[in-house]
Amino acid sequence: MQLEKFTYDNKIVRNFGLATIIWGIIGMTVGLLVAMQLFKPGMNMGNQYTTFGRIRPLHTNAVIFAFVGNAIFMGVYYSLQRLLKARMFSDVLSKIHFWGWQLVIVAAVITLPLGFTTSHEYAELEWPIDIAITLIWVVFGINMFGTIIKRRERHLYVAIWFYIATFVTIAVLHIVNSFELPISFLKSYYVYAGVQDALVQWWYGHNAVAFFLTTPYLGMMYYFLPKMANRPVYSYKLSILHFWSLIFIYIWAGPHHLLYTSLPGWAQSLGVAFSIMLIAPSWGGMINGLLTLRGAWDKVRDDVTLKFMVVALTAYGMATFEGPMLSLKQINGVAHFTDWIVAHVHVGALGWNGFLTFGVLYWLIPRLYRTELYSKKMASAHFWLGTLGILFYAVPMYWAGFTQGLMWKEFTAEGLLKYPNFLTTTLQIIPMHVLRAIGGALYLGGVILMAVNLAKTMLSAKLVANEPAEAMPLAKEIVDTDPADKKWHRVLERKPIKFMVFSMIIILIGGMVEMMPTFTIQSNVPTIASVKPYSALELQGRDIYIREGCVNCHSQTVRPFRSETERYGEYSKAGEFVYDHPFLWGSKRTGPDLHRVGGKYSNAWHFNHLLDPTSMSPGSIMPVYPWLISQKLDTTTTASKIRAMQTLGVPYREGFDQQANSDLKVQADSIAKDLNQNNIRVKSDREIIAVIAYLQRLGTDIKANKSTIPSNQ
Amino acid sequence: MFKQIKDLAGGEFYLITSLLIFMVFFLLVGLYLLKLNKNHINDMRQLPIADDQIPTPHEEI
Repeated sequence: MQLEKFTYDNKIVRNFGLATIIWGIIGMTVGLLVAMQLFKPGMNMGNQYTTFGRIRPLHTNAVIFAFVGNAIFMGVYYSLQRLLKARMFSDVLSKIHFWGWQLVIVAAVITLPLGFTTSHEYAELEWPIDIAITLIWVVFGINMFGTIIKRRERHLYVAIWFYIATFVTIAVLHIVNSFELPISFLKSYYVYAGVQDALVQWWYGHNAVAFFLTTPYLGMMYYFLPKMANRPVYSYKLSILHFWSLIFIYIWAGPHHLLYTSLPGWAQSLGVAFSIMLIAPSWGGMINGLLTLRGAWDKVRDDVTLKFMVVALTAYGMATFEGPMLSLKQINGVAHFTDWIVAHVHVGALGWNGFLTFGVLYWLIPRLYRTELYSKKMASAHFWLGTLGILFYAVPMYWAGFTQGLMWKEFTAEGLLKYPNFLTTTLQIIPMHVLRAIGGALYLGGVILMAVNLAKTMLSAKLVANEPAEAMPLAKEIVDTDPADKKWHRVLERKPIKFMVFSMIIILIGGMVEMMPTFTIQSNVPTIASVKPYSALELQGRDIYIREGCVNCHSQTVRPFRSETERYGEYSKAGEFVYDHPFLWGSKRTGPDLHRVGGKYSNAWHFNHLLDPTSMSPGSIMPVYPWLISQKLDTTTTASKIRAMQTLGVPYREGFDQQANSDLKVQADSIAKDLNQNNIRVKSDREIIAVIAYLQRLGTDIKANKSTIPSNQ
Repeated sequence: MFKQIKDLAGGEFYLITSLLIFMVFFLLVGLYLLKLNKNHINDMRQLPIADDQIPTPHEEI
């Protein structure tokens, strides 16, 4: 056989690299803005499109799917071609993938500030964009598997296993977590409700971290680190064990996000047990990475790319140790809903994802342009700015998390809550939030420095758009002369589709064991007779609550701790959420839990609080919501919303959709009348009336008859 | 100690079964690794550094 000449497509790698840098700066700038809003509410700009609740998801989507997403594709498109000794399957598909992904991100940038959100964390985008994501992901898959099929290297290196697992698992997660019933072009309801919705969401949320922020990056680590250090990976055996254990275990750990909620106890414990087990494969990867540098540590002193990689691996090790620790119920009881979780996430995001991306960019861009990096000094300055930024971010957030978590639980000698006013605990940690923003600014400053450095590098030379290469083609018929070649894993390494199917089975086992019982066994979600569907006005109010992103700061699940039942009221029961499409339990308490807020304050209190929170809670950092008073409630959607809920099994009576708006008007008039009696003149057709109706309903279904309510066990 | 995995009101079945499934899978992968051919491992380890990378001018010097 003769050597075949071909070229690698470097242009698509460069394009994804550029998109990584640009979206990184945008996403982190929005992050800095939301960080500042938490100590200076004026930064919300009194504008509905820039309030925390709407742009916090913009930040998370931009950094996860735009910054990290483009970085993944950059790394995959570069390494896949070289590991397989083949150009990407189709240049057209590469372009569709690139531009399609950027369009999805632009759609997110437009729709999220406008308030179009599903409210599922890290899956906020509405159904048409979900479909677009699916299509683009399929294009990516065809392009990847097409390249694998036309490869000139018989065996698939471990990095490619991680890419395949990423592709198949993200596809499964995205599809299962996107079962929504559309009611209009940009509004839908999840088909799951309450506890089941929570389980699906956190199965997705946790594994989005696993298979979007971790496995593709491990694949990139297994390719780029040996290249940078110019030595093979420390242990190939460890990489195999690490790979299979990681993808098997990760998928089970999602319920650790729902400890002490009304999720069935066995599912919570399953999440805890597998989270602890997860330390082993995670650290297997970290150790394999760090030991790859054995004998090359002297290079770390001079080579900035290796510096970034070492910090990235260390951050990965820290985050993956901390994650399992946080899943222990005793620690989770204090840490959950606090800034501790924000710190944990950012050690992973800034350290592992950010620094690995920067290391790869600094290594890759000069090679794509066949030149040298414009300034090593600038890169070194970036490294230190970024490292300091991570420290200034994480340490104050840990401090804030400890402080607030303990303050929530502290009782006086007389047995009363020491800090009964939630706001006291928020104000206590404001200085930590200022320091966090400084950390974020340092980190962002480093990224801007990198952008200048890489731009100068690119401008100083010409892109090698089509890099020449040559390799022997694969024989059409493979004869296994070595008996070892017939072993199952060796066969799998040569058969990408079988490999994908096997990986999918592995990840489906965990998901199914967790979800099937919760979905099929009635006793796992005890029903409560007094829990009724929301009224039409409350349903509309709930959708405004979702639109404004209130769930980003307020949880709706009271945990069974004395400190919480004293503060909020009866702990939450699974049966209370059966009509909640979607669930709104939240994951962070920047403000207090709202599950039992119904009836706690007057309508007038809520009105004044939404208009100007500081008027009711001096010092509050909640944004103002004056537009809820000026904007008219859109009641044209009521009938379709009721019909959608009926389709999903919510027991509204037959024909209620036609009567819903007149019911809505009666309830709205009564709230407006009550406000009027308190000297607040507001028309009954305003959005604020619906929000007040919803807030006043929250948690009231079981207040009257506590004794007849089944516990979560 | 171990209250979290013992005291589950009938849910132990799911937990123990899950752990058993993992143990069996882990042992199978472990067994495979023990039998793995050394030459194959060396070939696979070299894959990323063996590809024909064009060097930067700095590396050529």
